[in-house]
Amino acid sequence: MHSIFKAPLAALAVASLGASAAFAGSHSSLSGELRIISDMSNPAPRAVMEGLAAEFDEMHPNLTVELEIVDREAWKTQIRNALSANPPDVVNWYAANRMLPYVNAGLFMDVSELWNESEFEALASTKGAMTIDGKQWGVPYTYYQWGVYYRKDIFEELGLTEPSTWDEEVANCQAILDSGRKCYTIGTKFLWTAGGWFDYVNSRTNGYDFHIALARGEIEWTDPRVRQTFDNWRQLIDMGAFIDDHQTFSWQEALPFIVEGEATAYLMGNFAVAAMRDGGLDDTKLDFYQFPVINPDVDFAEDAPTDTFHIASGATNVEAAKEFLRFVTSPDVQTRINGGDALGQLPVNAGASVSDDKFIQQGFDMLSNNAGGGIMQFFDRDFPAEMASVGMEGLQEFMVFPDNLDDILARLEDARQRIYQ
Amino acid sequence: MFPTPIEKQSRAWQISYQSMLPFALIIWLLPLIAVATFSIRPEADFVEGNYWGVPGSFEFFTNYGRVFFESDMPRYLLNSVLITVPTVVGAVALSSMTGFALGVYKFKGNLLIFFMFIAGNFVPFQILMVPVRDLTVNLNLYDTKTGLILFHIAFQTGFCTLFMRNFIRALPFPLIEAARVEGVAEWRIFWFVVLPLMKPALAALAVLIFTFIWNDYFWAVVLTQGPDAQPVTAGITSFNSQFRAAYHLMSAGSIVAAIPPVLMFFAMQKHFIAGLTLGAVK
Repeated sequence: MHSIFKAPLAALAVASLGASAAFAGSHSSLSGELRIISDMSNPAPRAVMEGLAAEFDEMHPNLTVELEIVDREAWKTQIRNALSANPPDVVNWYAANRMLPYVNAGLFMDVSELWNESEFEALASTKGAMTIDGKQWGVPYTYYQWGVYYRKDIFEELGLTEPSTWDEEVANCQAILDSGRKCYTIGTKFLWTAGGWFDYVNSRTNGYDFHIALARGEIEWTDPRVRQTFDNWRQLIDMGAFIDDHQTFSWQEALPFIVEGEATAYLMGNFAVAAMRDGGLDDTKLDFYQFPVINPDVDFAEDAPTDTFHIASGATNVEAAKEFLRFVTSPDVQTRINGGDALGQLPVNAGASVSDDKFIQQGFDMLSNNAGGGIMQFFDRDFPAEMASVGMEGLQEFMVFPDNLDDILARLEDARQRIYQ
Repeated sequence: MFPTPIEKQSRAWQISYQSMLPFALIIWLLPLIAVATFSIRPEADFVEGNYWGVPGSFEFFTNYGRVFFESDMPRYLLNSVLITVPTVVGAVALSSMTGFALGVYKFKGNLLIFFMFIAGNFVPFQILMVPVRDLTVNLNLYDTKTGLILFHIAFQTGFCTLFMRNFIRALPFPLIEAARVEGVAEWRIFWFVVLPLMKPALAALAVLIFTFIWNDYFWAVVLTQGPDAQPVTAGITSFNSQFRAAYHLMSAGSIVAAIPPVLMFFAMQKHFIAGLTLGAVK
């Protein structure tokens, strides 16, 4: 394990360690039963969650932790039922717009007072994503970065460097196209990958606040600023920057193009790294850069889907639930659960340390220090489900038939007026 | 009407038949061949786009080893057995009794009841999805093997009854009359006279229902979740992680899941074919 503490953060971490030691003394008074329902059902996350529950149980002798793990997909349809009938104390869910229905229905408990504690300053990067109506409704335990994963060896061969502006990005792409390759691989068969491109082009063109306002339905899709986003995106499409027939591939089926060197970059989440490594791209061939600046007047906003813990409003053991939330957000726990042998993602707590992995480190640094605009949760989490599904269809269509833009925007605007009412 | 056997056709026809057959077979079996080769490929092949070429390395033991020793697969297989066997026993037992009642006794509404059993078969089961799920939830049987078994027994009994009733109708009725003249109790007639005669039908039906239930995916997904109750057909997707589909492991898992019904078919081939045609002609 390699620590990349920044000095002030280290001080903070030490302080919070002291604080949590103090808690341990005072909170052995916790008693009764703490019921947790978790959706961490895949093997590695499951082990993490079971470990957390066991450890918390051991820390508090008078408290019994009862953990129920539900299939991750099934949980998406069960959560409402679980929260309203016989609610548990703590549940897993997702940040931002995904929690809106449960906040509006009064099923999540307001945990703003936790966020006022000094330890929670280390979680600032996701505070916006956890906030609705000026209050916080849960705590994050993990996220992962998005960005451009590219073939370092091909960049070197062509004498290219990581672009930091849109003009450089376009110039690089032209050089790559001239060498007979495609710039970007993408598989839009299941639509969501196109959402990643829209998130980035739109937030770099118009900024985080505009992007989120669009997601909330406050801005018309036919707005000239939205058109500007599509114009920028279209620059790449008209160049032929994306692989052909991408609408027939899943994200995994689009991997061979970058692995075989037919395309040089992939705008993706960090989970793609493991797959590309399996395909033989080691750290000398694969590298990462932050999506470049398009409009210098707006700050970087990054896609980093965040997974969270919440307290049910019907919780019976609120004290224990709050203590559990403090426990899972502590730098020490976040370091351990996000390690390479556990979740293999990024801790949200800026005081945590990350594993000795090039991409994890770059991502942690990027999200902790260079995402001043805000953290987006990804298209299908920021937009309401119905809008997201209509929207992503439109984005895919745009990537294949960019001339249909007027039609597409009119259709999305119709959908917006119907969905948000 | 019936096609002329190949050996009686002209030589030219025979040759074209013989040369076309392998192609037709290969095209027909292509999905199966793909699954079989996928199951011995390393994961890297899928990332490199090597779907149809020579496998990058031979990973038979790794993939199948992981299926058996590093996944919930054995548990899913056991679930399948624990769901399929009781269903077969239950459906066959119930339907041999209903079949006996409907086939032997003459009473008012006999035909009506029989038609209701048949009509049940014509209800598309997708329509039942929501009510059956609600029912199992209300009975606290959601996500349990019992819930799945009870539903399967209920649903399969309709078809089995049709099958059994027609079979019993075809038995020589004088046997039953003779027994009655001897003063044998009705349940002993069922047990000692009719049941032994039904052995071929019982075997055929058991084989048929076994494959139906083992291969069921729809109800497994609707009524269960997770390794506690789900049968193997639904459990195969558990090889997928949150972000990635593990094609090689899913393929290996599918092959393993397909083996029991295939074995069953070969071992009981005679009964299986009998079963498909048995109820067809009275």
